Amino acid sequence: MSSTQFIELVLNGLITGSIYALVGSGIALVYGTTRVLNFAHGELMMLAGYGVLLFSVTLGWPVLLAALATILLVMLLGAIIQRVTIAPLMKREDWAFNVVAVTIGLSIFLQSAAQLIWGEQFQGVPYFFSGVAVIGDVRMPWQRIAILLVALAVMGLCALVLFRTRLGRIIRATAQDAEAALAVGIPSGLVHTAVFSISAALAGTGAILLSPLVTVSPWMGASYLLKGFAVVILGGLGSFGGAVAAGFLLGLIESFSVSFVSSEWSNVVAFVFLIAVIWVRPEGLFAGRGA
Amino acid sequence: MLQLERVNVHYGATRVLWDVSMEVGAGEIVAIMGPNGSGKSTVLKAAMGLKKPSSGVVRLDGEELQARSATVRPQRGMSIVLERRRLFPRMSVEENVMLGAYTRKTAEARETYRWVLDLLPEIKPHLNATAGKLSGGQQQMVAIARGLMANPRVLLMDEPFLGLSPAMVKTVCSIMQMINERGVAILFNEQNAKLSFAMSHRGYLLESGRVVLSGSGEDMLDHPEVRRVYLGMREEAA
Repeated sequence: MSSTQFIELVLNGLITGSIYALVGSGIALVYGTTRVLNFAHGELMMLAGYGVLLFSVTLGWPVLLAALATILLVMLLGAIIQRVTIAPLMKREDWAFNVVAVTIGLSIFLQSAAQLIWGEQFQGVPYFFSGVAVIGDVRMPWQRIAILLVALAVMGLCALVLFRTRLGRIIRATAQDAEAALAVGIPSGLVHTAVFSISAALAGTGAILLSPLVTVSPWMGASYLLKGFAVVILGGLGSFGGAVAAGFLLGLIESFSVSFVSSEWSNVVAFVFLIAVIWVRPEGLFAGRGA
Repeated sequence: MLQLERVNVHYGATRVLWDVSMEVGAGEIVAIMGPNGSGKSTVLKAAMGLKKPSSGVVRLDGEELQARSATVRPQRGMSIVLERRRLFPRMSVEENVMLGAYTRKTAEARETYRWVLDLLPEIKPHLNATAGKLSGGQQQMVAIARGLMANPRVLLMDEPFLGLSPAMVKTVCSIMQMINERGVAILFNEQNAKLSFAMSHRGYLLESGRVVLSGSGEDMLDHPEVRRVYLGMREEAA
């Protein structure tokens, strides 16, 4: 393998991994703070895909404005979903299984609603960035490079909020002990809503970055949800940093398996790796470094 | 100051508190004593709003709080040191302590922080340490410091001596006395009758979720039932 091929594989792995990291870190943030596994997370991605399609293609808004509007929209949807469907259930003693059932139901409902509203066709979003970046002998479209750069910036911002702000401090406190947080006066219920919103923003960012490369459809989020869960398990349940690291790791594994095995087998290799990790280190690779 | 009137609490279909009435006056230390599972912690959680009573009244300085969220209590002058400390384990000691003043203005919180560090100088060397890595005794100091950061007029303490060495129990007792001398009322629970009632102005004995006895600390210690069942003493033959 030439060094050019190697750099390409690493770059492709990091680009794919950055989407996994965005999706997985959102799931991890919600799980780490609320102990809810949100099976409707992929549908927030799908709705963001349709959002960017609506704002940038149908309404012709500038890309940045369309992206911002889409993120605000999915943040609002995330908050509404949490307040209307999840928060009331969490007041009950036996909420754990009920919440899983509700988020699965919500996922099916949102997919079906999208089919009814937008149909079953796959719709494309034009590239946001034109041109090709040349790094030595490596040529890569700016659209793909932008995925990595924007994802890193967004996750960096998220980490900054989590570890350097008052909001982050109260999110981490609620994640570590919700009752103790409530006892010092932190409104844990509102923190949970905020976390769902942030998680939706992360999923929305992933969908916006992906939409020009994959098509927008009602099933857009489903495969990424599965990868997101894999990332959360690999990273250590509930660990934001672990999910980010595991996302990049999974992306790299897939990228190299495409080259050394075949693209059809890349998912198999990725999930065999996941099973092997669970076998050896059931708590995940980066457990204990939660939000 | 703090009053509980005919408070009932259920966990699902199980009733754990039966018409519990208690009172803590300004500047008092009041103990709740009882065996495991008698509902001592539930009384404190109901008072703090962490467990909603199914009926009854929780009143602080005349204001009814039973229907209000727990987040209101620190603003009204009530805070709690939870059982087994319940610190935020992956945060620093300083972050833990400062979060105790979540509902207060920064300037006020800074002033209280200095006061708390003067009262509990043992935690000063550990301010940057990860809270979960401290010893049980050190964690209890941090938990008390966090509870005091709300500048409470009444401090609830859930099993403050649980899992501590005898030397650390003495230290925590003297800290509780110091806090009380500064005008803070304390309502705490404990399984050890001698320890509970010797240091309290008044006490309640709780059994199976019911208050079965109450009185001054001295009276409680002298009560034949307490002496026989909880202190293992036989009454002298007449």
